[in-house]
Amino acid sequence: MSARTGQLVAALALVALGTGAALAQSRGGTGTGRYTAEQAAAGAQVYAINCAMCHGARMEGRGEIPPLTGRFVANWAGRPVADLFAYVSRAMPQHAPGSLAPEQNAHLVALLLQANGVPAGARELPADEAALQRITFDPPGPAL
Amino acid sequence: MQQTAFIGQAATRRRLLGGALMAGGALAVPGLVRGQVLGTPSLVPMRLSPDQLVDMKCCLRPLRAAGPNLGTESVGGKLVVHNYGHGGSGWSLSWGSAEVAVGKALASLPRSVAVVGCGIIGLTSAVVAQRYGLDVTIYARDQIARTRSFRASGSYTPGSRIALVEPAGPQFPDLWEQMARHSWRMFRTMLGLPGEPVRFGDSYAVSDAPIERRTWPADPAITESFATAGLPRQNSEFAHLDSRIADIVPQAVPLPPGENPFGMPYATRSSQMHFNFPAYAAILLDEFFGRGGKFVNRVFHRPGELADLPEDVVIHATGYAARDFWGDRTVIPVRGQTGWLVPQPGVNYSLRYRNVSALSKGDGIVIMNNNPDLGDMLGVGDSMELPNRAPIEEAMATLAAIFARSAGAAA
Ligand SMILES: Cc1cc2nc3c(=O)[nH]c(=O)nc-3n(C[C@H](O)[C@H](O)[C@H](O)COP(=O)(O)OP(=O)(O)OC[C@H]3O[C@@H](n4cnc5c(N)ncnc54)[C@H](O)[C@@H]3O)c2cc1C
Ligand code: HEC
Repeated sequence: MSARTGQLVAALALVALGTGAALAQSRGGTGTGRYTAEQAAAGAQVYAINCAMCHGARMEGRGEIPPLTGRFVANWAGRPVADLFAYVSRAMPQHAPGSLAPEQNAHLVALLLQANGVPAGARELPADEAALQRITFDPPGPAL
Repeated sequence: MQQTAFIGQAATRRRLLGGALMAGGALAVPGLVRGQVLGTPSLVPMRLSPDQLVDMKCCLRPLRAAGPNLGTESVGGKLVVHNYGHGGSGWSLSWGSAEVAVGKALASLPRSVAVVGCGIIGLTSAVVAQRYGLDVTIYARDQIARTRSFRASGSYTPGSRIALVEPAGPQFPDLWEQMARHSWRMFRTMLGLPGEPVRFGDSYAVSDAPIERRTWPADPAITESFATAGLPRQNSEFAHLDSRIADIVPQAVPLPPGENPFGMPYATRSSQMHFNFPAYAAILLDEFFGRGGKFVNRVFHRPGELADLPEDVVIHATGYAARDFWGDRTVIPVRGQTGWLVPQPGVNYSLRYRNVSALSKGDGIVIMNNNPDLGDMLGVGDSMELPNRAPIEEAMATLAAIFARSAGAAA
């Protein structure tokens, strides 16, 4: 495959990902490193204490409770990260909804992005719904 | 006879005409309720050893203070008809509630409707809409077998944690009665179908003391209520409506000693309607897809997203999830859990003793352990949706002891 056809394939793949991904590019998607590895690591600690008992140590879920990888991407990708942040902030952990601080929720979202194949980067994920409205959850997509 | 003892066996044997039948005929096969001609009914005892426990389920009843939301509103040009918040009565009120919701949808003369949610409420609404000739697409995160509806216990309990008296107001009991009666009638159209999606079974309650209906007078020492605390604070706040349909729903009758199959001093029996979840869901899904229904796996994050749907009318049936999705804080979680034993086809009855019960259905024997002193308040405000094994094993042991005692008394 020449460099040019390679580019073409990549461009087509982007189109194939649909309007979500195209929108993501214009508004700033998670594909470009929108959280830090440190945030995700902090998120893992919050997760272990507040979420793992229900969603599982490997985010695999259980009968009652949805997994946070796999079909999770289909449920949340292509939309502003604000939706996910707001949901986790409002509704989780389910037995004590709304009990975590905004920073903790941002760390959890960073962890969820990382667990679903979104690359970390140099910019911190803001703990602010309005700012997160401008960042779209890019699906990691098929390995190109 | 070397088989498992039947409860009430000795008495039955004495009374049976033509005792020769008992020697080795079909009637003596374990696992079958023995035929009986007058006298103490003999029951196959439930097998309640810990090895039989194959599943535990935990679930949140979506108690909505004012009763189920069946209101309408407009979102982005769509007519949204709500159908959520059925407390501990979602299965029992499903047909009646769907009839009301679909009726409101039909009034706007749509050709097609979207149903959001595929628990018992969403799926029933979808099928009812199809029966009125509409094209229906269900949008939901999960299909019925993965929803909270499949984590219920499965009997006709239309008045269970359905509303709080004060917020529900004086009109609600009539609406409830209409939904409960319509549902009952619809369930009866499903009796005897292959797989027995709906079935009646005998329901026994046993006791060491005479059995009386427990009442919950308001406790004046409790000054908080839903109005001040956002949660009910005592049993008397709950609507108790079952007496309105006592003319059609079998009520418990005390059993005289000769008819009491258990080795317990007091017993009552009633007939209870129950639902076999897998068989029931299969029938509804077959009808839904058979009539050309479509299912789309989709999660909605904000109510505004409903505006993107191609259908002009949306029936909203997300159950407990509506608390967050629609921001309805009057939906109160009421936690409950069940243990599931291997099905025992020869056992078609349920047994309750104090706080514990076992209900035999086609899809398993359902074990519950509900503190009687808490009544409707048990689990209120608790959204910890993980099962806890100890109370289930304790219930199994308590009931196993009753069967041991009954077998001893019968011998
Ligand atoms: C222990 C226990 C025992 C019970 N026993 C009985 C009984 O014996 N008899 C009885 O009548 N009732 C019983 N109930 C009550 C009954 O389980 C509920 O009333 C009923 O399940 C409510 O059904 P539903 O369809 O409204 O909600 P659910 O079953 O929760 O279905 C909700 C649907 O909405 C979907 N959904 C949710 N959020 C979204 C979203 N954002 N986007 C897309 N889809 C979404 C879900 O995936 C699902 O498909 C019991 C409850 C408990 C907890
Ligand atoms: C008590 C058990 C429990 C705990 C603890 C819990 N969750 Fe959940 N979570 C659930 C359940 C149940 C659902 C499904 C909610 C529904 O259907 O109403 C869910 C749903 C979710 C979803 C949406 C999944 C999807 O694909 O739509 C996310 C994201 C989530 N939880 C994140 C978290 C995070 C992060 C934590 C820790 C802060 C957490 N949860 C703690 C039970 C729990």
